[in-house]
Amino acid sequence: MAEQTDSPDPSGFDIELLLKQARTYLAFGEQLQPLSERFHETLGQDGDWGEALRQHFDQLKAALAEAADDPGGHADLARLWTVTLDTWRQTAASLGVPATLAPLAGVNAKAWQAYQSVQGQYLDLLRQAARDALDLMEQRLGERAAAGATVESLRELYNLWVECNEETYGRMLRGPDYGALNGRLLNALLGCHACGDTPA
Amino acid sequence: MIGPTPAQITEELRRFQARLAEGARTLHGLGPIETGVLSRDPVYQEDKLILYRYQPRVAEPHPVPLLIVYALVNRPYMMDLQEDRSLIRGLLDAGLDVYLIDWGYPDAGDRHLSLADYILRYIGHCVDHLRERHQQEAINLLGVCQGGALSLCFAALHSGKIRNLVTMVTPVDFHTPDNVLTHLIRHVDVDLLVDTLGNLPGQLLNFTFLSLSPFRLAGQKYVDLVDILDDAQALKNFLRMEKWIFDSPDQAGEAFRQFAKDFFQQNKLVKGEVVIGGQRVDLRDVTMPVLNVYASQDHLVPPAASKALAGCCGSRDYAELSFKGGHIGIYVSGRAQREVPPAIAAWLLAR
Repeated sequence: MAEQTDSPDPSGFDIELLLKQARTYLAFGEQLQPLSERFHETLGQDGDWGEALRQHFDQLKAALAEAADDPGGHADLARLWTVTLDTWRQTAASLGVPATLAPLAGVNAKAWQAYQSVQGQYLDLLRQAARDALDLMEQRLGERAAAGATVESLRELYNLWVECNEETYGRMLRGPDYGALNGRLLNALLGCHACGDTPA
Repeated sequence: MIGPTPAQITEELRRFQARLAEGARTLHGLGPIETGVLSRDPVYQEDKLILYRYQPRVAEPHPVPLLIVYALVNRPYMMDLQEDRSLIRGLLDAGLDVYLIDWGYPDAGDRHLSLADYILRYIGHCVDHLRERHQQEAINLLGVCQGGALSLCFAALHSGKIRNLVTMVTPVDFHTPDNVLTHLIRHVDVDLLVDTLGNLPGQLLNFTFLSLSPFRLAGQKYVDLVDILDDAQALKNFLRMEKWIFDSPDQAGEAFRQFAKDFFQQNKLVKGEVVIGGQRVDLRDVTMPVLNVYASQDHLVPPAASKALAGCCGSRDYAELSFKGGHIGIYVSGRAQREVPPAIAAWLLAR
């Protein structure tokens, strides 16, 4: 007995999930291309690869921070930092609390501000983990270079970036701050919901 | 060292885009994604619950039926996902007569369903139905994840009706240090949550699970998907799993309230303090033979959370089966098909 559409929402695959991440991967590739360029230049000129690596990652952190801070900016690049927050915002929207900057009609302004404040703290924590991940990636690339190991492809760089993010994010996730903040975020969202007449 | 030159990276990105464009067409042409492949018949129905009997695959199945109690979270077709990934098929092939509870999708009308409804009424009625149908004093029970915790409660309260109990990736001690879900739910105001929303939306559960590993589960997974977009079979397998992941029923409000507070936040199951329908659940009353199956790399239900059962259940015939894999791999990996159902069946058939 095959089960096909017995769910109330027979959710087919949302191709947007794929396209979004594909665009993010392309944005990642664009950001990493200069690193490759610098590396091969340094190699030719017998320069200081460690210093070049450091400079590139500083620039990368700045570019990601700028993209994440500017709502009208490079969304695909910003997603490298905000994947968790994006998922949260989608969840919040499904509960009737969209990610608007102004308070929703009918929602208590104090509850709304409290929610925005906790959301800001949540984003700060995520950004810190993302910054730490870039530091870790820089360190790992340095270690590989010192060991004479070569990164063979852009995908390998991307996988290393994922691995570093999972490591720093995982540390944060298991730490005391995240658990408390995660609880406060949901409680604050519910506060908005409870004070207003937003649909469930 | 960075091997690829800028030109090689450009070429890699170009190939990625080309595969994506080509694959999008394959994706559109796939048709509906089917899950649950084995023949089964509904034999009992109550509210949204349907009890299914899987068509036996041997001439004379074992006389004691096996009832599978799946979690309320996600859908039970994970147990019979596809032709070559079906734990139920393995159990049937070993000669067991397998039944499964499908909880359905709770809606607003179900918000007041309590754990007592799920355990004493729904599971209780299914157990009684099978006892009568098979003319058996007691039947075999297999609880999966949260369904294992519910099964433990039932078995403790009605030990005479359960001949053997199998728990799979079942949390018993919810406060082991490595339990990330408890870590996340500890600070949630569960009363506010249920009082505000009624039922717990499945999408909120999805977020919680994705947030455990967001860069892999919400990012890398889809980038890797591009690699298999030209392989219809691999794509179907991916989409089947994807469908299961996002097919999250809402959770009945009152049942969720008690489970979140008593099990996750206050860890009452292992302390013998859970009360269901006015009766205290004491795991020392679980006196029938118990097989506790856990996954050694489980990130949702850490092995220690499951293995705590050894120290608090009353069975003198307690055994553990450790599977080298994760919380999902224990159902769908190739090795799981070879190792888990035969081991469970052999243990049951010997008792």
